[in-house]
This record gives sequence, structure tokens and C-alpha cells, in this order.
Amino acid sequence: MSDPSDLRAAELRDSTRRHFFGDCGIGLGAIALQQLLSGASDSAAAADAGAATRAAGPMTPKLPHHVARAKRVIFLFMAGGPSQLDLFTDKPALRELHGQAPPASQMEGKRFAFLKGNETLLGSKYQFGRYGGCGMELSELIPEHRRIVDDVCWLRGMTTDVFNHGPAKLFMNAGFQAPGRPALGAWATYGLGSESRDLPGFVVLQSGPRGPRAGATLWSSGFLPTSYQGVPFRGQGDPILYLRSPRGASRDGERQFHDVVRSLNQERLREVGDPEIATRINAYEMAFRMQTSAVELMETDGESEETLRLYGAQRGEPSFANNCLLARRLVERGVRFVQLYHTNWDHHGGPTENLDHHLPEICREVDRASAALVIDLKRRGLLDDTLVIWAGEFGRTPMGEVRESIGRDHHVDAFTLWMAGGGVKAGHIHGQTDELGFGVTEGKVHVHDLHATILHLLGFDHERLTYRFQGRDFRLTDVHGRVVHEILT
Amino acid sequence: MGRGGPASSARLIHVFFASYPFRRLFAMHFLITATTMPKFLVGIALVTGSALSALSTFEQAVGEVPVGQAAVAAQVDKVSFNDQIRPILSGACFSCHGPDEKHREADLRLDLRGHATGEDGSGVTAIVPGDWQASAMIERILSDDPDLVMPPPAAKKERLTPDQIETLRRWIDEGAEYQPHWAFMPLRTTTPPNVSLGSRASNPIDRFIANELERIDLAPSPAADRATLIRRVSLDLSGLLPEPEDVDAFVRDRRPDAFDRLVDRLLASPHFAERWGRHWLDQARYADSHGYSIDSQRSMWPYRDWVIRAVGDDMPLDQFTVEQLAGDLLPDATKQQIIATAFHRNTLINQEGGVDPEQFRHESVVDRVNTTGVVWLGLTLGCAQCHTHKFDPITHREYYEMFAFFNSTTDVNNAGATVVVEPGEVLGFSAPQWLRHRQAEQVKREAELKTILQGIAEPVDDSPSSAKSMFSHAEAKTLLKAIAARRETRTADQQSRLLAALRKAFPEQAEQFVRWETSNVMVMQELPDPRETFISVRGDFLRPDTEIGPLRPRPPRLVQSIDVPEVSQSDGDALTRLDLARWLVSPENPLTPRVTVNRVWMRYFGIGLVETEEDFGTQGTPPTHPELLDWLARDFIEHGMSMKRLHRLIVTSDTYRQSSVHRDDIERIDPRNRLLSRQNRIRFEAEIVRDSALSASGLLDRTLGGPSVHPPQPGGVYAFTQRDKAWVEDQGGGRYRRAMYTEFFRSAPHPMFTTFDAPDFQVTCTRRPRSNTPLQALALANDGAFLEFAAATSRRIMRERGDATVAQRVRHAFRLLLGRSPSPGELATLEAYHDSVAADRIGKTTLVGASDASGRSGVSSRDDDGSQAAMAAVVRAILNTDNFITRE
Repeated sequence: MSDPSDLRAAELRDSTRRHFFGDCGIGLGAIALQQLLSGASDSAAAADAGAATRAAGPMTPKLPHHVARAKRVIFLFMAGGPSQLDLFTDKPALRELHGQAPPASQMEGKRFAFLKGNETLLGSKYQFGRYGGCGMELSELIPEHRRIVDDVCWLRGMTTDVFNHGPAKLFMNAGFQAPGRPALGAWATYGLGSESRDLPGFVVLQSGPRGPRAGATLWSSGFLPTSYQGVPFRGQGDPILYLRSPRGASRDGERQFHDVVRSLNQERLREVGDPEIATRINAYEMAFRMQTSAVELMETDGESEETLRLYGAQRGEPSFANNCLLARRLVERGVRFVQLYHTNWDHHGGPTENLDHHLPEICREVDRASAALVIDLKRRGLLDDTLVIWAGEFGRTPMGEVRESIGRDHHVDAFTLWMAGGGVKAGHIHGQTDELGFGVTEGKVHVHDLHATILHLLGFDHERLTYRFQGRDFRLTDVHGRVVHEILT
Repeated sequence: MGRGGPASSARLIHVFFASYPFRRLFAMHFLITATTMPKFLVGIALVTGSALSALSTFEQAVGEVPVGQAAVAAQVDKVSFNDQIRPILSGACFSCHGPDEKHREADLRLDLRGHATGEDGSGVTAIVPGDWQASAMIERILSDDPDLVMPPPAAKKERLTPDQIETLRRWIDEGAEYQPHWAFMPLRTTTPPNVSLGSRASNPIDRFIANELERIDLAPSPAADRATLIRRVSLDLSGLLPEPEDVDAFVRDRRPDAFDRLVDRLLASPHFAERWGRHWLDQARYADSHGYSIDSQRSMWPYRDWVIRAVGDDMPLDQFTVEQLAGDLLPDATKQQIIATAFHRNTLINQEGGVDPEQFRHESVVDRVNTTGVVWLGLTLGCAQCHTHKFDPITHREYYEMFAFFNSTTDVNNAGATVVVEPGEVLGFSAPQWLRHRQAEQVKREAELKTILQGIAEPVDDSPSSAKSMFSHAEAKTLLKAIAARRETRTADQQSRLLAALRKAFPEQAEQFVRWETSNVMVMQELPDPRETFISVRGDFLRPDTEIGPLRPRPPRLVQSIDVPEVSQSDGDALTRLDLARWLVSPENPLTPRVTVNRVWMRYFGIGLVETEEDFGTQGTPPTHPELLDWLARDFIEHGMSMKRLHRLIVTSDTYRQSSVHRDDIERIDPRNRLLSRQNRIRFEAEIVRDSALSASGLLDRTLGGPSVHPPQPGGVYAFTQRDKAWVEDQGGGRYRRAMYTEFFRSAPHPMFTTFDAPDFQVTCTRRPRSNTPLQALALANDGAFLEFAAATSRRIMRERGDATVAQRVRHAFRLLLGRSPSPGELATLEAYHDSVAADRIGKTTLVGASDASGRSGVSSRDDDGSQAAMAAVVRAILNTDNFITRE
């Protein structure tokens, strides 16, 4: 991945060694030391195969290519595709031409998921205003976003390639529309490891009526080692499967159980000398710690009423707001990548998906907590090196789609997302669309460019963060991607 | 070609200097520096610039000495193109100066000798054979000018090391001879080397292995003790633990062929067919759901059963290949042969609204091409989907010629040919009497259920209110639809929902209702008129290259030794899948047997002779033992492509039977154990983790095949999927079947699978990773299934050794789970643990029967002296050791 002559290779080796001997708690003797010294040579990419990583664990913190601006990421995934035309961009022309056929020039060669070709332009019924120093247009549906308008970098020129939900979500996560490639969070933890000793490096949370389309493939590690796949945390009860000890087991009893297992493992390690056993001993220790740390994570008793109000969270009640609060608690505890999915933004106009009731409803679910997360991170000094991303898999069409009511179909040529913290400009608007919102007129950012930029903020050259699989060096951005320097601080 | 195959000559530094002393003074300095420098100074050396490449050389030399290859290289006089030059050119040059014309720079190809030397009139002087100083390639590599140096900084490739450059110079001076890539050359006739092995000489494998070990002065390890050996070979061949009596019998069996007998017995077992069938199912990306977002159930288990049967019958690889790729095209194809073609219907189906079916048909054909390439040829054909392959001789056009073989089947995304299959049909047994009786009963109850449901769907005033609360209006309508459908046309999802409804409506009979599904297995079927195939520009199915025109199906030409037929052998027309299948397994094709034997080898040693078992192309790793690989491949062909013979050959070698205990000298000389001076310890696959615990507990239901089963699964697994799945927990035997029969939803597999590295089977999987994580620890410690297995194992111990001492019971637990006796230390630890738990649990209730998935509720009873709980705790501790989930 990176040049082995890089000075950081030495730092990496040292940090790996410290981590290993700091945590391992057992002496492995000269052999392990020798493996350790030799294994971390070839930068993070090769280190996976190296003996050091085998012994110290794949989540050992690693240094990236250059100084990172963002040390961790919270990705708020708005599953279904929010309507940029009803939230983030005011189109008076669309209102004027409401009900008319779209210009033929805009329809030529375009493919849509559901539109039949006879649909007409649909102006937004919601009121817009300009807010903050940057003068961003926000609709009345997301009033709380006004509070963070100057903390956020607005990307209004997003484009993607794919217009079906599953493939488009995969594309937004993994840069590829078919399953089998690693998600962004997997790449991030593969490249950086995790700062948390007690929790997984890549955590996924879910809220809304159902899970996101494509399920676990969205946080898959693809061809990367499975240690890097996202771990779904449930928003209620035990966050992780099998976290709780069996019925009747006391903490002391479980400590005894773990001591017995460790003792048996240590004896086998002495007998057969396989460093995998040392890794397993560490894994059991982390599991034991996780049993308290993951439970403690979910206990929001220590959070003040003011904080709960800020997010709009109710104690013990699963919701997007609660998940936003959990996301903050996760990154506070060193988790590298947290991804929240919230459904359902798919407002085609169907019985449970209309623009009149269901769009305002989901905005109420999401608006306050999204803003609260940025505010809360900022006041705790975490926003500087935490990157928050708010995005769906695509946007929605300027034309109405006729179902039970008038909704909007999937649109790939122009949509809006925002990012905050972690090295992106605050209060900055990047990108503009044409007067009807069909296409991007300036500041176009493709999903591959977004990925290149996120990796850049995490300290990586997206062309050099690679993994050799089936004879090819794969990367998140495939053969594409350009870092959008215009939005960086 | 030479015998070794180092990926990079830089790694050979030790041996090169032994062999070519004082070649480069500065390089010699590196060696001294690197080997004598205190570790803490290495970081300082890094900064000094001049020693930059020394560091990488040093680290690779210490960290990853591919000893066997190095030792071999030391004896080779001439530089080997395949072993030394190609890896350099492929890594640094071919992406811009290779086969792909679209990304070729300066119109220069370095992959063809004629072009690189100008001998074909290309006007190029990149390489002047015999004169490195006149060769522009070397000049550019050595240049300090960022505009001239190769590889250019913009390519973001690492600069060549002095050692690599030196190798290139020597090669040019020696005449710059090229060789075809080793894997594309015909199989060689190799003979096992003559080595003084004594008793080890009987198996040719051991001669090849010993020969390489002798070169680096490493002794092989002694044979593993018999207890370890029977556990190893039982797990490898059947995926189940040996019973203690079997261990005892084998340990006592002093006949010289005791091990051979054991192997024969295991190879004949149906559990061998399950174990190795499962390996094949990974490659077939078999699953029980459609994939993508909706991910509904599908019913492909007859194909799974076909694989089990074929593996058990030792179907030769050529027949196994032809039936799966083209069974439908065989003359007078049998139903079994048609079921076999479900192999390529394991592709995904996108059921989302608004999809373009043609797009997903195209995706499935792409997957069929790529899967065929990886599984049989060990080639990454997928690279040529968008452009000509950058490293291997596969053109963009050839990709779509291959595509044309699979482009004319009737299936289009969610529509296509199916065959109705009854359970047991494939494996050759019919439903037992009791089951037929239950089915008849079930039909009656279904009729009653229908009446209840109609009362809810079309309510009249006097419908019983209890029925109303049982099912919602919407549920009733869905269920009625399912009942209205003919049994054999019901979808798997409908069958599951119906089963759940029956159990709910008639709880007193809940356990009587069975899952006895008829399957509509999806199969391949050719269109009467083939579709036209065009090159997709940049892989985009919406951009057919009509200028080049429709393509005829044709296998890739990279393997020089095989004649590619122009017309089909069958009817003289265009080639078909049947021709492709026969081409893949023709005795002249060197790739299929090499890839096959290598993958089998990989399962037995944890790593293949070719480590990149999925990439035999120029970017893959070369074999550690190329002559052994070819010998095995040739032997395989000569013996009728029998898989069982290959298995027997490998597992009866001394190499396989060695101890896996780590040794200091191996760590020093061959830390990755690539030359096999010992066995490797291998953590089991997810399925085997469960199966082995299950077999020790005595709960295992050994039924073969049939519809997939539903052991307990924790709640909330589908909270993260778009659609809730109908997971109706099985009662009785279905809870205790082998893990390979558990229903597999691609979007949300049973968490046990994911935790232990099973892939999601979106694409073919030829090699599973082996991670080692805290989530595995939590699953083994707290999953209700493992607690239940621990309780059952504990009951088994009390049953079999109830009157024995605690120490004797612990010994028995060790024998059941680890197949060996505990050391004094292990025994003492567990005895103390036992007594401590027993004291604590006297008179309390303890789990004795079925547990739910969370392990928090289950069948319990009072434990008078705490011994049941204490023994279960001991078993649970053993289940959680690294030893238990590792085959040593």
C-alpha cells in the first residue's frame, strides 16, 4: 500500500509493539518479538498477513498515509433517498412550471426506476428560507438544521450511477453496485484499526420501520478479512448478540469461567506454540470487557436531561435520536466508524410513502437529532476530528410520480448531502443545479469523489489504500475518484 | 523453468549473497547492516535515505523468507524469467506496458519479447538482449529525472529495489529470454525426487516435500500422536469428532495399515460427502435466498443434495463439471443431470420494484463467467469485463466470447426454468411411512385452517372471536393465497408461513407438523434461438459494441496447449456450454487439474501450494512446489479424475501426518511454514464449530439432505433487513442437524455463520478467511445452542461415567471434545473449577434440555448436588478453548 521507506513504517511498528505488549499480558518470548519486528514492515496493507497483526489483532491502531483530519466517522444514512427538492434546494422555476411536461432535453437518454414517461414537473409545496452566514436554502421541514447551517458543508452537486435502492446503497457504501466489496467503514478500520479496546471498530445502528434494503451486505467487509465487517448494535436491550452471560451466571462466576478458559489456552500455547492462541486469549479478554462496556454504552442514565432534550431522545426508547446519542457515546469510546441507518425516505407517493404526511414525519424524526449530534460533538470538542456525514443513496426527481398521491421517483443526476467537522469547511455550499434540479451545473461531486475525499480526510491516498484480491489491487474508488479539495479546510 | 518461485528477487537477499558474493558492494553493506544492526537502530537507518531500500530488503528477508524458493534460486545459474523477471515486470510495468491496449503508454509492450526488443519491427529498443546498457528500460528505471523515471511517480508504484534492477540487468545480459507463464504451460511429467527417506519414501508427496526441506536443512516434524491424528483426519474428512471408542481402537490398532483403514472408513461415510460437498457449495455460492434487498426464500436444496450425492459417489471431476455446467445439454439428459445445472442458477435475483430485468440478467451472466473462471481455471476473468486484462492474456473480446456461452439461457432475473423435486428424490430415498402419515394429517388440518382463515378474511358475525385474534386480516389473506396455490407451486416462503400458521392454530399438534417441501429448483435451459452477444463497452450492458458485431462463444486462448474447437462437437454449429465444459476438463487443459488439486491441498494444510488459489495468473503467487503440483495434477488425470483417490493420497502422506507443534528452527527459517516441515493448526469453519460440539453432545441428527432446517436463532436478526423472514424454529431433529442444512438468507445469515467467517455467498467463495475475534468468544460462551450442547454433553458424561470420580469425568469430557487426555495442569484447573461450581449450584436449577437461542430460558431441573451444573460448566470451558475449535 504505502512506500516501505516511509518514516511512518517505523512509527507503526513501534505503536504496534506497544499495543501488543501493553495489552497481551502474556510473554511470548523471543519468537513473538521477532515476528513482531518483521511483520509490521510492509505498512498497514501487508501487516494483516504479518505475524504482528496476527498476534496483536487486526484492530490494532495503525497510522495512515498522511496526517488525518478526521479520526472517526459518523455516517447518518438516510435510507430510501431524501428529496433534495423538498429539503435543501428551492426551485421557484419548478413551482412556476408545476404540472407541465419536463423539457425533452432533460429526459433524453435518462433511465428512471418507475416513471412511465408521462409525468409532469412537481414544485415543492414547502416553504424555503435562506439561513446563516452561508445563506443555505432550507425548507420548513427541517427547522433544526438552521442551528447548524454554519457548521456544515453542503454538497448540492452530488451524483451517483445507480437508481435501484439495493445497488445504490451498495454503491454509496462500497463504490460498487454489486455485493462483494468492502464498505467504507470496513476500509476505514482496515486502514486505521480502532482506538477502542472494548468495542468493535465499526458499529452499525438501525432505526425506522424496517432495515435498509440489501441488509448486511451494506456493512460487509467484502474480500477484506471479516474482522472489519460492521457489527450491528441493536438500539434496545443487548446491543450485541450473545452479549449476556447465561441465566444464573454471576459476574464473579463468569470471571472464573474466563480465568479457567485462559488458563487452558495458556497451557496449550506453551505446548504447541501457535501465536493464534495468544490472539484468542486477547479476544476472550476483550469479550469479557465488552460485556460491561457495551451495556454501559447503552445506559444513558448519566446523560443530562438537557442532552436528552437536545437530541429529542427518550430514555430506553429506540429511535433515530437515541441512536445519534449512542453514536456520540461510541465515538467517545474510540470506535472508528459508526453508521446509522434510518428508514424510510422512499417517497414515491404510495400509501405509506407520500410527500404530504410521511415526508414531514420522517423529517421530524431526523431533523432535531441530526442537528443535535453536530452541536453536541462541537461543544465537547469532538467535532474537529470527527467527520459527520448525512446522506441517502440518491435524490428524487423534479417530476412527480403518480401513485395514490403524487410523489417523486429516484434521481441519480443531482442530489444533496452534508458533512460536518473532520476537516471540511463549515458553512460552505458546494455545487449548484440547474433551475429545475435535473442536473448539476457546477461543483459536481460523484460518489467516487466523495469516497476519495472521505479517505483523504482519514489520512489516506485513496489510490494507495488497496487490497490484493483475486490478482488485483482493489480500492474503494475502483479506478475513479478525485479529492474535492474545494471543500477542505 | 526453475523450481522455485519467489515473488520478488529482493526477498532472496540472503541466498543471493551466498550465491553471488560481492556482486554489488553497496548491497553487501546492506546485508551486514541489516543483520547486525540493533533493532532500535532500524528506525534511524530509515531516515538516512541511502539505506531506504535496505530496510525493505531486510524486513522482507527476516519476515517472509520464502526459504525453499530461495534455496533453489541459489543453485540456478541463469535468471529465470518466470520466477524472477515476470513478477517484477508484472508488478511495475504491465499495467501501462502490457496486454491492455486501452491503457498502453508510448505504444510499448513489455509482455511480448518481440515487441520489447524491436525484433518484430516495433521500432522499440526497450530491451537490447545481451546489453543492458543499451536497453532504454534500464536507463529509465535508473533515471533521477521525475519526468523520465520508471515507474513514473504518478503510477504510485514503488521504485524498483537495487536488487530487482540487478536481476533485470543480468537477465538482459543473459539474452532476455521470455517464458510463457508457468500456469499456462502444459503439465510437465515430473518424477518424485530420490531422497533418502527410509520409511517415508512410500508416498511420492513426501519425496517432493523432503527434497525442498533438505535444501534448507529443516527436518520434517515427527508424526502427530495417534489421538491427534484421528481427530485431525476425522475433522478434515467428515467434519465430525471421532467417538472415544474410535479413538481408543485406533490408538490400540497396531496393524501397519491402521491409518489407511481409518481413512477408507471415513471416505466411505456419508459425512465425508457432506463435508466436502460443503466446500464445493462455497464455490457454487449456494444459498436459500435470492439476495439483493428483498432476499426472499428460494428452494435450491435439491442441488445441495445433488452435490452431496456426487461427492459421496466419487463422481469424477470431468463428469462433475460437465453435468453442472451443461447437464441439460447432454443427450437424453436425466433429471439428476438437469438438477446439476442449478450450479449456475445460484446467482442473485433482484426482486425490487422498478428494476430492469435485463440488467440483472446481465449481472447473472457476468457472475457465471467470473465464477467459472475462478472455480475451474483459477483466473480472474472478471478483470476483462470492462477492458482487456492488464496482466493476463485475456482480451476484452475474449471475455464476451466466454460470456456468449452463458448468454442464451431462458432465465431472466426472477423468471426461468424450474424442475419439481421431492425430498429424498435426489439422494434416492423416499419418505418414511410415519412421515407420509403426518403429511396426510397435515392436509386435513390445512383444510380446517382454511375455514378459520376465511372467517377472518371475509368476516361474518358468528365467526369465533378467538380465531379473529389469532391472525390479522392481512395475514389471513396471505395465508389463504398460499393454501390456494397447488402444493408443488408454493414458494418456500409460503410453505414456511403456512407451517407457522398450522402450529399456531393447532398448538397441541405443533410438533406433528413437518416441513416436507416440494422444491421448484431453478435450472439452466437454453433458448431455442440464441441471444446475440456483443462486447459491453466498459462493462456497461447498455453499451453493446455493435461495430465489432455479435460474437460466437469461444473459450479463452491463453492456454496454448489446447486446441480450441471452432464448431461444436455435437451438431457442428456454434459452441455450447457443453463444449466449454468439456474444454475445461480436457486432459490437455493444465489449469483445471492444477487448480483442483491445489484447492484440495489447501484444505488439508490451510494454505495451497499456490497460495493465491483463486489466481493462477501472472499476478498470483507462484507454487512453492511446482513439480509436486504438476505431479499431483497428472496423477489425478491418469487416475480418472477421482477425487477420493486424491484425498487418500494426500492424507496418507507423512507430510499430512506430521505434528503441528511450532518449532523454533521453523519460526526462524520458514516462519510461514510454506515448505511444510510441520502441519498447520487450522481453526474450523463456522459449520464445523457447531457440528463438532453437536456430535460430542450426542444430539446430532444424522439425516442427510432435504429441505433446509431452522435451529433456534436469536431474535432481531431481521431488524436490519428490508423484509422480515419467516424463521419458524424447528422442533425435534431439525434443531440438531448439521449446520450445512441451516436455511441461509444472504442478507441476514444465522449469526453463528457470520461470526465464524462464513461468507454471504453473493459471489463464489473459494477460500474462507479465518478471523479470531471477541464476537466469536461471546457466541461460544453465551449462544443458547452451545449451552444446550454443553448441558447435553454433561448429561452424556454423567450417563457414561456417573459413578466415576470428578477427575475421571473430566478425562471423559476431554476425550469427547478434544479426543485426548488432559495434562496434569489442565486436569487440576478443571477439577478445581468443577468443585467450585458444584458448591455454588447445590440445589439450584440448571439447564438440562432444549434452550432458546439467547440461552436465557430452557428446560431446567433441580440439581441436587450441583454436579450436573458443574460438569456442564467444565464442558462449556473446554468448548471455549482454542483447542476445541482448532484441528491440530
